[in-house]
Order: sequence, then structure tokens, then C-alpha cells
Amino acid sequence: MTDTRRITVKFFALLREQAGCREVSLATTASTPAALYAELMSTHGLRVSQSILTYAVNERYVPADSPLADGDRVAFIPPVAGG
Amino acid sequence: MFAVTENPIDAAALRAGLQRPEAGALVVFEGWVRNHHRGRPVTRLDYEAFVEMAQSEGDALVAEIEEEFPGVRITCVHRTGDLVPGDVAVWIGARSAHRDDAFRAARLAIEEVKRRLPVWKKEYHPGSDPVWVNCTEDTGVTNDASAYYARQSALAEVGAQGQHRLAQASVLVVGVGGLGCPAAMYLTGAGVGRLTLVDGGKVEFSNLHRQVLFEAGDVGAPKASRAALALRARNPHIVVEAINADLTASNLRPLLVGRSVVLDCTDNFTTRLLLHDACLEAGIPLVQAAVHQWEGVINVFERGAGGCLYCVGLPRDVSALDRVGSCAGAPVFGPAVGTLGLLQATEAIKVLLGRGADDLATHHTLLVDLLSIGITRVARPARPDCPFCTRVGTTSDSGRAEVGASPASDDKPTPLWVSPDERDQLGTHRLVVLATAEDRAARDWLIDVEIVHPEDTQKLDLLVRTSDRPVVLTCPQGVRSASMARMLRAAGLANVFALEGGLPSSLGQLRSTQREAARE
Repeated sequence: MTDTRRITVKFFALLREQAGCREVSLATTASTPAALYAELMSTHGLRVSQSILTYAVNERYVPADSPLADGDRVAFIPPVAGG
Repeated sequence: MFAVTENPIDAAALRAGLQRPEAGALVVFEGWVRNHHRGRPVTRLDYEAFVEMAQSEGDALVAEIEEEFPGVRITCVHRTGDLVPGDVAVWIGARSAHRDDAFRAARLAIEEVKRRLPVWKKEYHPGSDPVWVNCTEDTGVTNDASAYYARQSALAEVGAQGQHRLAQASVLVVGVGGLGCPAAMYLTGAGVGRLTLVDGGKVEFSNLHRQVLFEAGDVGAPKASRAALALRARNPHIVVEAINADLTASNLRPLLVGRSVVLDCTDNFTTRLLLHDACLEAGIPLVQAAVHQWEGVINVFERGAGGCLYCVGLPRDVSALDRVGSCAGAPVFGPAVGTLGLLQATEAIKVLLGRGADDLATHHTLLVDLLSIGITRVARPARPDCPFCTRVGTTSDSGRAEVGASPASDDKPTPLWVSPDERDQLGTHRLVVLATAEDRAARDWLIDVEIVHPEDTQKLDLLVRTSDRPVVLTCPQGVRSASMARMLRAAGLANVFALEGGLPSSLGQLRSTQREAARE
């Protein structure tokens, strides 16, 4: 049995520009949003420091170390600036 | 109502949508695009949203605020796309019967939008590259927790490791009143990772002089959730939860799960005992404080360190305590509860930092007198024969010597409380009333009774030590005399008792005592 998950990742704002796309679908062994981001930093050229990021899974904020499940939609949320 | 839109915001239509004949106030906030930022000209802003999540977060924040301010209706619309100076980027309207709630709800709505709505903006400056606001680390706006805690973590006793311990901590504060407000404020500032406030009460006008998290506009609102709002605004790096319910035997257990430390900031004996028992049974350190007028008492109860409440003579029968009554409605000096609340935060933070028992009020009770500005330490040793400690296994430190401490008695423990009827069975004894000059002026029938001023602990201590007869203490409300009797027991004096019910219930006996005294 493999520990790989299919994940859809959405990019916004500065991260969208760094990744060069709005969305990717990928297979990963990363088990948390934080681990997934670390993986994509090298493969997709993401350069926003993890210290200022928050994470969303299936359109809800989650802790950086929450578990990922097959089919999850992950978004990396740079510091928001609404208003 | 919440919406994200690419189209210009029609303020007149949104305002008309909120109009109702029963509404007495509408507060509108409009966020405008301005032509400068940090001293640089701005030509346009490009707003981008994670639309699906912005909708669900926006719906949630509007629902939360409407729940916190019953009767308030919120409309909030956020714009996306290319905007130029003068454009409305966000429109918030809060409608209410009264202006106070409308102002506060509108303010909270914009703060929540800025804190959590997944919306970003790119700022365009003439002659240089555009920047995503807040996304680079040199913006001067810092979300960095290390800067928030810089002055605290610079302490040798805290450091990065201590700060991490605080961030990992989960703290329960029971009672959000005169003690709970200042305690929670400083725990928030210290950076405890998760703070849960429990209180079923609502803010009253007579609370405001000492319950420093509340304003006049909060009167009538639930204490726990209103305090949580104020605390979240103080420190965005921690999680603050509110439970608008009183702590009871039925909701207690789940609330204790995973707690690093619990603060008892309540004002009644029933909850106090409930927490005391449950925390010692679960092995969770408990920081307990109580205040009477100008004086306060603070204890840290930790399994295996120091005596429990029963070691110092409290009965297991809670119904006896209920007869004494609570301190609700009693006079109180605002800074006294403030001081004791801060001492609770101090002790809780030290527990979280892993300070040893020598640095904590675990083996002694602190008596703080704000009127004469004195702190007295009374030893609170564990009693080897305490049935409660034996059951929960807290007497592991019985070999540890405490300076000035001696067991209350080598015989079987004597009950602390005596009812007015039981008082007769004590035989010849001295009834001592703790009363101030004001108490005496208010009750002329007290003149012939043996009276000691409640602050004169030294005189009382000497009186009990040198008395050849048992001493029964009482006072107008029965609360202070009970706590004094308990302290004297803790100091090793076995021949002191507390009269159940305080002075009012024993008025008849007092009169007969006076008559006897008159005959002699």
C-alpha cells in the first residue's frame, strides 16, 4: 500500500505569480499542508516564508500540521490584506 | 449578508436593504482606496480573492457577530478587481435598535474581515514594481509573534524555550469577573496558545469598576464571549475560546481534557470545590484565588505538592458551604481583585514555565491585605491522614518539611464547621466576631460580644493560640470568618471553628450570650 495522496493545490496573489499558475493537481507523499508547501517550494519556486503562511483545506483554515486526505483541496494563504 | 463582487458597490442600495422601522441606528463603514501608502503615492489597487472560501468565511463572520450582538443585522460586501483611489473596496453596515451595539458590531466586522477574509491586494506605485501588501517580510507591518513577545522572552527564566512552552499550553479560566479579567489579559499577553473562558453570567453595570475587560456598552452581554473579543484584539497569535455557561458537574470533565493549568476565578464555594476536586483528581495544577473587600487569598493546588482544601479542614459536605453563601453582592475593593487576578496569572505562567514548588504558592497560602499592604505566607502542608489526598494519591511529598508547619492535630481531624446547634456541644467556648467599626455601628447588639477587627490577624492568631477554650469564629456574612478559621487550622491550630451561616443566623444565640454575660 502506498502513502500517496491526490491533492489539488490553489495559488493566490504572490504565490500564484511565483508558481506561474492558479492551480495544480498532484500526487504527493506529504501528509500535512506544511509538508506539502515545503515540497512545492523546491518544485514550484514558491518563496514566501512559511513563518507568515496559513493553510486552508477544503476552503477552511486548518493548523499547519493537520492531516491531508486523498482528494483534499489545499490552499496556501499568504497574509491577507482585505478591506 | 455577505458577498464578494467584481462590480462597483452600490452603497445606497445596501443601505436601503438594511432599513427597518424598528431599527434605531445604522453604522456604516466604507473602506476606500487611498492614493498613498507608507509615504508613497498609489495609483491603483488590484484585489484578488479566494472567492469560495471568502464567501464561507464571510458568511461565518457575519453569523458570529450577529450572534454576539443579538438584534444586530450586518451587511458586508467586499470588492475584487482593479480599483482606483476613491473607489469603495469594502462596505459594512450594522443595523441595531441602539447605537452602542451598531458601532461595536461594525467595528468588529471590519477587524474580522481584515484578519481572516482570504483577500489580497497588489499596490501599484508610479515608477516602481507593484507589491503584494503584507506578503513581503520588510513591510514594517509585522505579524511576527517573536516581536510581540520580545520583551518577555528576553527574560532568562523564559527564553525561546519558555515561550514555546507557553505557546503549547492550554489554559482554562473559570469565571470572567474581577479576578478572571486581569488574569486572562496577562495570560493573553504572555502568549498561552489556547485560552478558554467559562462564565454563564452577563455583564452588569456594577461589574465595570473592577472587571477591566468590559465597557459600559457591554452591559447585558455574555461575559465570556465579550471578554474573548477583547482578548483576541490584544493578541492575534493565540486562540481564545468562550463558553457562555456556568461550570457544573456535568460540563466540567470535557473542559478539563488536555489542560496545562486551570484558574479558579469564581466567587462561590460550590464551583470552587468542584474544580478543586476535579483538578487534583486529574492531576491538573489549579490556581485558586478569592477576595473579600480589601483582602485576598491565593493557593496553587498541585497533586503531590502541599495540602489540599480538606487538609486544612474544609468539610466534604458542600451543602454546609452553601449555607454560608457566596460573595456575590458583597463590597469589594477593585484593585484587590485586580491584584489577586494578576497573582493568579503570575502563578499560572510560572507553572507553565516549569518553575518548581519553591517558586509557587503550592506549600503555602498567600494572604494579601491591600489596606495595610502586607503579604502573609501561611504554611499549607499535606496531612498524611487526609482522606481525599489518600484517595487521589497526593501525599507523596509528606516527607518534605515546610518551615513553620505542623500538622493540625495528631488525632482524628476535627470538623472545621459548627452549626448554631452544635455550638452548644462544644461546651465552654469563646465566640469571637470578626467585625469592623462600621459593622459594630450598624449593630448595637454586638457591643458586649468579643470582637476582633477582621484585619487584625496577629491578634486573632494570638487569641486562638493562648485560649484554653475552643474558639468559634463568625462574622456578618460567615465567609471571612470561615476563611480565617481555615487559615488558622492550616497554621496548626486545632481548637478553632467556624460558625455556619455567619452572624444573621446566630443572632438569637448571640443575644442569649449577651444576656448571660449581663447576668454574670
